[in-house]
Amino acid sequence: MAAIEILVVLAVAAFLAGFGGSFLGIGGGVFLIPFMTLVLDIDIKIAIATSLIGVIATSSGAASVYVRDHLTNLRLAMFLEVATTFGAISGALLGLLVDERLLFLSFTAVVLSAAAIMVRTRETAKERAYRAGEEDPLAKRLALSSVYFDQEDQGVYRYRVERPVAGFAVSAAAGGFSGLLGVGGGFIKVPAMNILMRVPMKAAVATSNFMIGVTAAASAFIYYSAGFVEPSLAAMVIVGVFSGANIGTRLLVRAKAQRVRFVFAVFLAVLGILMGLRAFGSGVAL
Amino acid sequence: MRVGNLRRAVLAEVEDINRLIYHVLRAGVVLSVSLILFGFILEAFGAGGLPTQSIPPRRLLSELLRFTPAGYVNLGILVLIFTPMARVLLSLLSFLEERDRTFAAITLVVLVNLLTSFFFLA
Repeated sequence: MAAIEILVVLAVAAFLAGFGGSFLGIGGGVFLIPFMTLVLDIDIKIAIATSLIGVIATSSGAASVYVRDHLTNLRLAMFLEVATTFGAISGALLGLLVDERLLFLSFTAVVLSAAAIMVRTRETAKERAYRAGEEDPLAKRLALSSVYFDQEDQGVYRYRVERPVAGFAVSAAAGGFSGLLGVGGGFIKVPAMNILMRVPMKAAVATSNFMIGVTAAASAFIYYSAGFVEPSLAAMVIVGVFSGANIGTRLLVRAKAQRVRFVFAVFLAVLGILMGLRAFGSGVAL
Repeated sequence: MRVGNLRRAVLAEVEDINRLIYHVLRAGVVLSVSLILFGFILEAFGAGGLPTQSIPPRRLLSELLRFTPAGYVNLGILVLIFTPMARVLLSLLSFLEERDRTFAAITLVVLVNLLTSFFFLA
């Protein structure tokens, strides 16, 4: 069992992860894993296993609220989850075998790319507006397009889901990273939905939060059976994350979408840099 | 509170699948935390040490019957891991009820994927 100071610090970090995660549509793993490995000096595979548990807790906490408030696109989530679960299982099996440095490196590459993508485009009400013209046939067949209520401007927005096949492919990759790196994959899913499939930011966040729980559960089973879940660490993370998520969700429904995207991009950039430094061996003390 | 009102309130919640999912997800976490807390309490009462490793399900039942902290903390974690699966099952039932065969099939694939990873446990 880990020392009491580590447990307390972890609980606080988990709270922040849950708070930020529910706000950004991620599980908090992208924050928690670097924190656990760089600050608490926990073995990366244990950190990954613990993080997966945390992601499930964030997801359950945040998504429950978003689903109730009709922000989540349930059909899109289900459709993409086929891809993410496949990816998650493959990733988890791979992750058990792969060298630690490679994990850090992949993590960095993915996170920095996601950050770069997020800063590039702006989302305004005009861009969120319903598009005229032919709907993508697959999206139409699966009735993926939906509607949500945005508290920012008290508007009800109908939106279409575009490029579902591309989104599906990226989700498989997101699932793979989830299994490999112990994250929820939200940091890929949100940009994939928001930028690639043109889902409005808040709906993307809500849908991502809903999906990551399932994705993480698929990998979590595997890590649990491999013995990498440290129960006391996991316990702290569950409690911390769930509390944080309860507060983060309240914030998201009221926030401006553009602010959410900006915060997201900044957070990813910082993260990517830190993980990159770790991958190349320098001991970065936070 | 009158039984009729209570019953109507419950039915209203159940009819809206969104609200049902809300309750299932939250209940999963609350149950998980309660079990873990129970495990910690057992440890405080000297029923054994806190677990350092996850316990395979085969041994879990005997641990639970002996009221070891390890058993309950691990059970709590397992309950959490199962919560998303419960939610997927709920979605499946909802799509079946709506007679949406395409999405029932899609949901079934996701459920099978989850079960496949679960068999790594067994």
